[in-house]
Amino acid sequence: MAFKRTPQVFNCSMNEVTFGTGAKAVTIGGENVYPLYTFDGPIKNKVAIGVEITDDGFDASVPGIAEFYAGCDSIGAIAKRASEMPGADFVVLTLEGADPNGKNKSVDECAAIAKEVADAIDCPLAVQGCKNIEKDTELFSKVSEVCAGKNILIVSARQEDYKTIAASAVMAYGQKMSAESAVDINLAKQLNVLISQMGIAPENCVQNVGSAAAGYGFEYVASTLDRVVGAALTQNDGMLQMPIVTPVGGESWVVKESTASEADVPEWGNREERGIEMEVSTAAACIIGGSNAVFMRHPEAVKTISNLVNALM
Amino acid sequence: MARFITIGERIHCISPTIKKAMEEMNPEPILKRAKEQIACGATYLDVNIGPAEKNGEELMKWAVQLIQSECNNIPLCLDTSNLKAIEAGISVYNRTNGKPIVNSADAADRLNRIDVAAANDAICIALCAQQGIPSNNDERMEYCQIMLEKGMELGMDPSDLWFDPLFLVIKGNQDKQMDVLDFIKQLSDMGFNSTGGLSNVSNMAPNELRPIMDSVTVAMAMYNGLTSAIVNPCDKRLMETIKTADIIKNEMMYADSYLEL
Repeated sequence: MAFKRTPQVFNCSMNEVTFGTGAKAVTIGGENVYPLYTFDGPIKNKVAIGVEITDDGFDASVPGIAEFYAGCDSIGAIAKRASEMPGADFVVLTLEGADPNGKNKSVDECAAIAKEVADAIDCPLAVQGCKNIEKDTELFSKVSEVCAGKNILIVSARQEDYKTIAASAVMAYGQKMSAESAVDINLAKQLNVLISQMGIAPENCVQNVGSAAAGYGFEYVASTLDRVVGAALTQNDGMLQMPIVTPVGGESWVVKESTASEADVPEWGNREERGIEMEVSTAAACIIGGSNAVFMRHPEAVKTISNLVNALM
Repeated sequence: MARFITIGERIHCISPTIKKAMEEMNPEPILKRAKEQIACGATYLDVNIGPAEKNGEELMKWAVQLIQSECNNIPLCLDTSNLKAIEAGISVYNRTNGKPIVNSADAADRLNRIDVAAANDAICIALCAQQGIPSNNDERMEYCQIMLEKGMELGMDPSDLWFDPLFLVIKGNQDKQMDVLDFIKQLSDMGFNSTGGLSNVSNMAPNELRPIMDSVTVAMAMYNGLTSAIVNPCDKRLMETIKTADIIKNEMMYADSYLEL
């Protein structure tokens, strides 16, 4: 008897979330088939790629990246260049300089930078904080205020600060938010429940369920992604149907494969190529797991992943 | 497998309030009970209009349209001995959130309810009984097979027959309870869906005992593979038991707030 293939199309789907405004606004999520399972049904929205910059410009520790941003003399110019990177769908500004244990830049200074970036680009903006809960809470409120009307994505709200971020970023200033948990499926769901119970509509929230560089505990990320997507689609779990965003660049460019110099480990070959491979492998693995958007740094890695997405979706 | 399906039983003409509302076609008491049950987590709502021999068709149409239009097209279980009324109800039924359920066929006089379900792409509750209560599980299985064959002949998907093992009142039938649970296991092992009037088990018991009797019965039945039940969703203990059993069976992802979902 001939093999009869039954497409695995679910009668529920991931939520759709749109950030940014105008022609270049990005919509992620909405799929009702497993990640990349285009043979089961069309994938509603392609995976989106965000290019990461920081309040200091770009990550100068990444080899080859300075050349890409050559000639940019302001944060606005850097943001614009990032937005023009082939394959880029949006820009991610990481306000790491706000960290009280680091440069401790003021909230106002960081907000001004965010405003300059938002004004310089015509694609959507996502803003990451400095990982210090108290500072981020203040920072996200102010950034949401100065970027009112831009429909930016605030990354991320955690268990400790989701209430303030939901109230300021989404309810007061109409931005989008991301809920962050660290490779813990039950906490991921719980945070989504709590945010929903505050009255945040599904179209206003995405989730970041954790990230790691390939080879660095990535199996936990992979199984978390699998279980989130599995419960969202097979069990129609509305509390896990938020589209998934995953920061990749920051994880990929700090592991030894990306940082060890060629002088120290000549047998590993060219450092820039290694780093690009780490970033590409990590991003591709996240997309296979179900990430709807990835944040990346190196132009070559962005181009490669963009080609992959265009070929497979 | 899937999450347990609860069919809310509180729109039933045995209740004087509902009986009166149906006689007068007064929407308020019916909608109030519909919304209460939905708020408590009912998946389906049973709409029992009684025998409704005179105006069954009109009444069922009215009830289906009323409840679905006011309650986001909640899926319904159409419950009456008046076959024409069930057909009329299905004719105006909105399937957005699930097929209609015909309540119910048996292996005797009501076997033709399966024809109605098959002709209308509906689910049919299939009571594993003929006249009265089956005396043992061999009888239950015989009746199950009769209805299964009937459904298959008519081209129904077996998953659209929800076999009812007939829950028995515990008080007076203690010796029969494990039989019913064993039969649920047999249905489950064969891959069939099942349902039943759970509240039967606590009939004639004091009100304060009913939630614990219903809850423990549903937990034991869910362990054996029961996929649905006709319940009072406003019974908090029962609904919490069902949610927790779903968590233990890995049909729903755990989160600290799972009881609130």
